[in-house]
Amino acid sequence: MSTEYRPHSWPREGIVLGVFAVVVFAMPWWLTWIGGYEALATKIVIWAIFALGFDILLGFTGYLSFGHAAFFGTSGYVAGLMFLHYSESIIPALLACLVVSIVLALVLGFLTLRRTGIYFAILTLAFAQMLHAAALSIFQEWTGGDNGLTMSAQPNLFGLPMDGLNVFYLAAVLVVIGFAMARQIRRSPLGLMLRSIKENQMRLEYTGVNVMAYKMTAYLISAIYAGTAGWLMVVYEPYVATKFLHWSTSGEVVIMSVIGGVNTLIGPMIGAAFMMYFENVVQSEIGELWKLVLGAIFVLIVIFLPGGFVDGYNRVRKVLGQKVPSRRHNVPDSPESMRKLRERGRTAEAGRTD
Amino acid sequence: MSVNDVFLQLVTGLQLGAIYALIALGLTLIFGTLGVVNFAHGALYVIAIYAAVVIGGQIGFWAAVILVPLLLFVVGILMERGIIQYFYDRPHTDQILVTFGLALVIEEGAKAIFGANNIPYPIPDWGTGQMLFYGTGATIPGVPRFEEMPQVWMPFIEGMLFYPSWRIILIAVSFLAIGGLFALLQFTRFGLVVRAGMRDSEMLRFLGINITARFAIVFGLGALIAGIAGVFGGPITQVTPDVGMHLLVPSFLVVVIGGMGSLPGALLSAMLLGMALSFSAEYSAVQQIVIYLVAVVVLLVRPRGLMGKKGVLE
Repeated sequence: MSTEYRPHSWPREGIVLGVFAVVVFAMPWWLTWIGGYEALATKIVIWAIFALGFDILLGFTGYLSFGHAAFFGTSGYVAGLMFLHYSESIIPALLACLVVSIVLALVLGFLTLRRTGIYFAILTLAFAQMLHAAALSIFQEWTGGDNGLTMSAQPNLFGLPMDGLNVFYLAAVLVVIGFAMARQIRRSPLGLMLRSIKENQMRLEYTGVNVMAYKMTAYLISAIYAGTAGWLMVVYEPYVATKFLHWSTSGEVVIMSVIGGVNTLIGPMIGAAFMMYFENVVQSEIGELWKLVLGAIFVLIVIFLPGGFVDGYNRVRKVLGQKVPSRRHNVPDSPESMRKLRERGRTAEAGRTD
Repeated sequence: MSVNDVFLQLVTGLQLGAIYALIALGLTLIFGTLGVVNFAHGALYVIAIYAAVVIGGQIGFWAAVILVPLLLFVVGILMERGIIQYFYDRPHTDQILVTFGLALVIEEGAKAIFGANNIPYPIPDWGTGQMLFYGTGATIPGVPRFEEMPQVWMPFIEGMLFYPSWRIILIAVSFLAIGGLFALLQFTRFGLVVRAGMRDSEMLRFLGINITARFAIVFGLGALIAGIAGVFGGPITQVTPDVGMHLLVPSFLVVVIGGMGSLPGALLSAMLLGMALSFSAEYSAVQQIVIYLVAVVVLLVRPRGLMGKKGVLE
């Protein structure tokens, strides 16, 4: 699959993040050229944060969660309640959202992470639906039931009102930080461990690794991203809908990740942009049919292009005769790359990985 | 709680459990034989209720009773041969993704054709009324309204009780279907082969049995049961495109609580959840989450489910 191993270099990292930041920050402008609008850019970036965190779980460890709406929605409600009852400043709300997301992830992770594959998908789906049902029944007093929560005042950051492009810049800064962090995690020993969980969890256990702790770490990280996205959503639009907790929200982030390209970090964000564009711009062209068309696109991608858009792009490049760099980020995997490593005098290290 | 209340709640629990059991049996049958978790199983139910409404409205209810399960059987086989069979060698998550995508397409397709709102289900006249249960010593008033009702004598009931006929019919049909399925698997050669295939399909292939064709039929059977559920459950669950997903989540829990791939386990846990829902009806806030609470308790005490076997999915 891969042709060449590309070692990590800080200048290249800087260029990647720089280009990414420019593309993200310029989004309100270039989006209007293709039929979008400014506020759509904010939505795209918020969902990109959600999908990015989701990729750390699904892409790295291979654990397919169908219940990430639990973190997104709970965070939304916590943020809404903080704005309503405590302070309109967004910082205390963010702290509360992070704490709640972490606690919730510990509880749900304890219940679901013990099982793999199918069991995990079903259990996460079920417990997220439990929270949805609970928000509509036993927590109705706080969540407003079917009506959701509506905030009257605009949230602010140290007096700066959080509306329009201000929210966008906040979200854009966070997505760039989130992307940089995710890339660091990917090439760190932690990232290597998470990917070996995907490869062969049992073998990892036999070597004495506390797999549960690593799975929980990935789950926690993705929950923190999802919680941040949920908080941002309420800052962006001072309204908490019950839909934030519904399975369809979990489904959306799954769809984004898969059509964009799982385990690529950039893919799920492209998927988020694609889906939001579809939901808001294409919808005005074809009406309610957009969901049907999107579902069909999703099915076709799962069947014919399991690597999503990023894989499609790489295939096109391969056809054009270009070299596609390795997708394995800290594992030398081809004989040529091993030879190159030896030439650099790192024989001992390369020998150990054998 | 009086005897009458307990009786009513038992019947309600049976009725709720019956629908879950029909969906969950199809799910667990497909899972046990093919190893595929079918996220589109709720969508099959959606196809069934809309087909039942159309056929029932155009031709007649009995035509729907016969044609809809047959249609679903064909749809199931087409789905397995057309898409699912290419996913046996791919990771479980891909199977979940493709069936989830199919579920979306079917749900949105139904929405595009029939709209998102509930449409009326043409129940035949004989199924619309109430059923009368009476105990010893109860005097039934001699007015036509009471005399026309189907009457059942139950010695322990105090006085009279009414229950919608259609729900009783649903319970009866469900248990007939479930009994039929178990008989098919237990007493026929086909069932023997399928059960052997659930244990070790590779060995069966070595013995020269064409398990592929039989597994396609099993997928069709799972869809057929969803079809039966749709024809008789449609009036109770509503006829909307999103009812499939509403049913799917509890049905998944039924399968997980019962133990993945265990048919008796699915039946047992469907009834357990039905009863839990029915008996918590007085506390409506708790009722919404009671099935999840049961699931949490069962999974903490018995992580493999009530009747799950060691080695399945581990």
